[in-house]
Amino acid sequence: MDAARRRDRWRAQPGRGERVTMGLRDWLTRARRDDDLQDEIRAHLSMAVADRIRDGEDPDTARLAALKEFGNVTRTRERTRQWWAGAWRVWVLDLAHDVRYSLRLLRRSPGYTLVVLIVLALGIGANISVFRLFRPLALAPVPGVADSGRLGVLVAETTAGRVLPLSHLDFRDLVTAQTSFTDIAGTSMESLSMGFGANGERVWAEEVTGSYFSLLNVRAQLGRTLLPSDDRTPGGHPVVVISDGLWKRAFGADPNIIGRTVLVGGYPLTVVGVTEPAFHGTIVSIDIEAFIPVMMQPQLHGRDDLSVRFAPKLWGLGRLKPGLSMQTAAAEAAVLLERLAPLHPDEEITYHATVMPMWRSPFGAQTYLLPAVMLLGAMGVLVLLIVCANVSNLVLVRGLSRHGEIAARLALGASRTRVLRLLFMESLSLALPGAVAGLLASESLLRLMNTSGVAEVGPAGRVFFDTSIDGLVVTFAVLLSCGCAMVFGLLPAFRVSRVDLASVMRDELSPRTATSSRMRNVLVVAQVAVSMVLLVGAGLVLRSLDSARRADPGFEARGVASLMVNLQSSGYDESRGFAFYSRLLDTLRGEAGVESATLAAQTPMALVPGRTRDFEIEGHVPRPKEDLRFLINPIASDYFKTLRIPLLAGRDFADTDDEPSVKVAVVNATLARRFWNGVENALGKRLRVSRGEWVNVVGVVQDIKYLRIDEEPMPFVYFPYKQYGLAPMFAHVRGHEDGGASLTRLRARVQAMDANLPILDARPLREQTELGFFVLAMAAGVIAVLGAVAALLAALGTYGMVSYSARQSEHEIGIRMAVGADRADVVRRFLGRGLRLGLSGAVLGIFSALLISRALVSLLYGVSAADPVSFTAASGVVMAVVGLASFVPAWKASRTDPMAALRHR
Amino acid sequence: MPPLDLLQGTLDMLILQTLQWGPQHGYAIAQTIRARSSDALKVETGSLYPALHRLEKQGWVKAEWGVTDANQRAKYYRLTPAGKKQLLQERDRWMQLVAAIGGVLSPDAAKG
Repeated sequence: MDAARRRDRWRAQPGRGERVTMGLRDWLTRARRDDDLQDEIRAHLSMAVADRIRDGEDPDTARLAALKEFGNVTRTRERTRQWWAGAWRVWVLDLAHDVRYSLRLLRRSPGYTLVVLIVLALGIGANISVFRLFRPLALAPVPGVADSGRLGVLVAETTAGRVLPLSHLDFRDLVTAQTSFTDIAGTSMESLSMGFGANGERVWAEEVTGSYFSLLNVRAQLGRTLLPSDDRTPGGHPVVVISDGLWKRAFGADPNIIGRTVLVGGYPLTVVGVTEPAFHGTIVSIDIEAFIPVMMQPQLHGRDDLSVRFAPKLWGLGRLKPGLSMQTAAAEAAVLLERLAPLHPDEEITYHATVMPMWRSPFGAQTYLLPAVMLLGAMGVLVLLIVCANVSNLVLVRGLSRHGEIAARLALGASRTRVLRLLFMESLSLALPGAVAGLLASESLLRLMNTSGVAEVGPAGRVFFDTSIDGLVVTFAVLLSCGCAMVFGLLPAFRVSRVDLASVMRDELSPRTATSSRMRNVLVVAQVAVSMVLLVGAGLVLRSLDSARRADPGFEARGVASLMVNLQSSGYDESRGFAFYSRLLDTLRGEAGVESATLAAQTPMALVPGRTRDFEIEGHVPRPKEDLRFLINPIASDYFKTLRIPLLAGRDFADTDDEPSVKVAVVNATLARRFWNGVENALGKRLRVSRGEWVNVVGVVQDIKYLRIDEEPMPFVYFPYKQYGLAPMFAHVRGHEDGGASLTRLRARVQAMDANLPILDARPLREQTELGFFVLAMAAGVIAVLGAVAALLAALGTYGMVSYSARQSEHEIGIRMAVGADRADVVRRFLGRGLRLGLSGAVLGIFSALLISRALVSLLYGVSAADPVSFTAASGVVMAVVGLASFVPAWKASRTDPMAALRHR
Repeated sequence: MPPLDLLQGTLDMLILQTLQWGPQHGYAIAQTIRARSSDALKVETGSLYPALHRLEKQGWVKAEWGVTDANQRAKYYRLTPAGKKQLLQERDRWMQLVAAIGGVLSPDAAKG
């Protein structure tokens, strides 16, 4: 091409900006141009007619001849129009046309559309539900804060790999020394009483450093948030920012709340602000309702953690500098404390600092829920497989019945790509409604899954677990739906577009039809097999929950009423506090109908680890990386009697095990066996909390479940509460009953002793310990729903296949019945076809499940991954479902009127 | 003799050539080509109008509504300076092509 020509081309092609505006203009003037073209063609025709009339033809003939000569007006217009728009615009127009056409087709076969939408709604809905559980755990852990999934968590990690909060002093050192974060805020979760007396209640609070709110970019809807100026002098900032929820619940949304004084942990704090409604604190699943400067820690807890180098208190939340990874930040943090160590030569450092993403942070629900939810997500993928197989089948069947149409399109010159695209568009145009249906379905599915009570995860406090639908969920739904549409649309589209023209024209069944009927059978078998796997999984988890419920947790919660009192927050000092507890025990024990009463700082099966301490065991040289941090529980005498925990050796605590006497401890059997080679040996041995006094072991008790029912045995140490320091305590009372009247009486006794004392968490102990079943119950709820969805989908798939093959064989049925076959024969024939496929699917499913169920082991309790009961039950359900789904269409086929069927051809 | 099919790309050149003698509407362009080729070349309207609009988009012709002698409203196409240049080039190329094909087809060449 020579230069001049190139220049002309250049001129003919407008610049980029111009092209955009031109494109816009083109769209706007499209209608006008169309009219224009029509006028132009009309003028052409009338001139042609006029010429012919002039040449002597009569007007009618002339008009017909002119039209004939002109040819296809519409085609001319379409081809001309192409030149107004660029190639991509033509493509878009074609696409829009395809979509319109697809929608019209779908509207014309509402049955098909409905079935596909139901399948999508169920399958995609189930996955959306799991995603809605996953999102607040990993992707958006801090509600109301954008991008919270990218927050880094700065923590201490012991040499044994245990993650702990940093001490206040370490935290401050790290913040000044680090260079990976633009900013770090410190926070800690505390349970504090708010108000006093009968009106007092327990709220979850975060004690935070000055940059907490600015880092999270959370604003106050009323008053102000906490500022760096609230983070200067210990004890000098008696202020609190409350959540929107607390403001509405406890203060009736009082517009004059700012400046009011509330008792938090018994200490008067001034309300300075109310946060935005969307914000619920930074602890996943916990609804934090009060935010207090960490500088008030000594006042609120009656001991000073701010100036103690080894008191774990704060963890950091930080935004990484652009371009830095968590690993880089972790690498920097790892060496920082060591580098700082020479500054404090008298303090031994047994841990290093590290940085982790929020989803790995142990402070919140993510650590115990994420593994389960991830497994459930994998189960969800199986459901998606069924969805795709199911819809593929439907599309395939429909495609077959459209062989004629497609052959016609191909014969008229449509390219295969064009036909492929049309078929593909049909599937894709179901994807969007599918996503919407899935979102709607996930509302109900989530409710079904939640019978386990995700909403009641914390009897010990309020819960906020945000499973609402947001942009992320919608995006997920649409992507998932489109992804499915691609999978289920592509396969059949390829198959159908390879129509053998000649055979369709001859109205024959081509060999390809046979192939695709084999294909359909394979798809049905696959669906049955996958649903088998899911049902086995559901069976295993449900059986685990059942065996967990019947398992012996090592203690007896039934019959024990429980409530919590917090003395420090009502201004008790240690001696008055202990005196109060002693009197309380005496009163309760003197009560008629009370078998025994005790106090404990921790309740069993609490899900979240409570108090832990680093231990040294006399005579035991710790191996490298050995974890000697154990859970502890300060208790009163009669604890083991009240909870019916067997004492294996030695003695229970006595009321005389108090501060001035010899320090003693009771350990559990696991600890005794691990370090002293047996229960009896443990008596008289000594251990101590790091840096503390040596303590004599006076008793060994049987293990109980401390956190959750499916935990591994772990060492555990009990201390007499009077040798531990004043702490909020649960009173446990064993009597005739553990609810109603007994609780009321218990409350009344405490009230009579001090009317101003907040009474928290008054409930039967068995309700309190429900938490220990929580993860299993949640998993069981979700997986049961997934299994049900899978079975339903497999039923739909089988039903569709059998009823289609019955319809195809109408002619054959007619002949058979005409020559004497009765209805039972017909039913048997099609029922047999469905059952054969079902059986192959079930067998395939059993083998797959045997391989796959091992992945579930972490969720199982008291059930082997090859549990015959689960496998038998799942097989039974699958065969029943397949049988029913085959019988109905088979029975329908037997109602065929032979004469009508024969006349059809 | 049945009408000949137009070679790909030659229609544009013929239209531009026709317009060199003055602005014309679509019908007249078709008639002119047909008449000047002694009915050998028949322009399909299904190609003519797309071609006209293509040329307009490329800036080689300009369209305007006008009125014919018979008082019929019609869209007139006029050659632009760019169109003139384009025509010259296409004519050159066509001549070269004819000469080249002629050379191949000439009896002398066949003998040699």
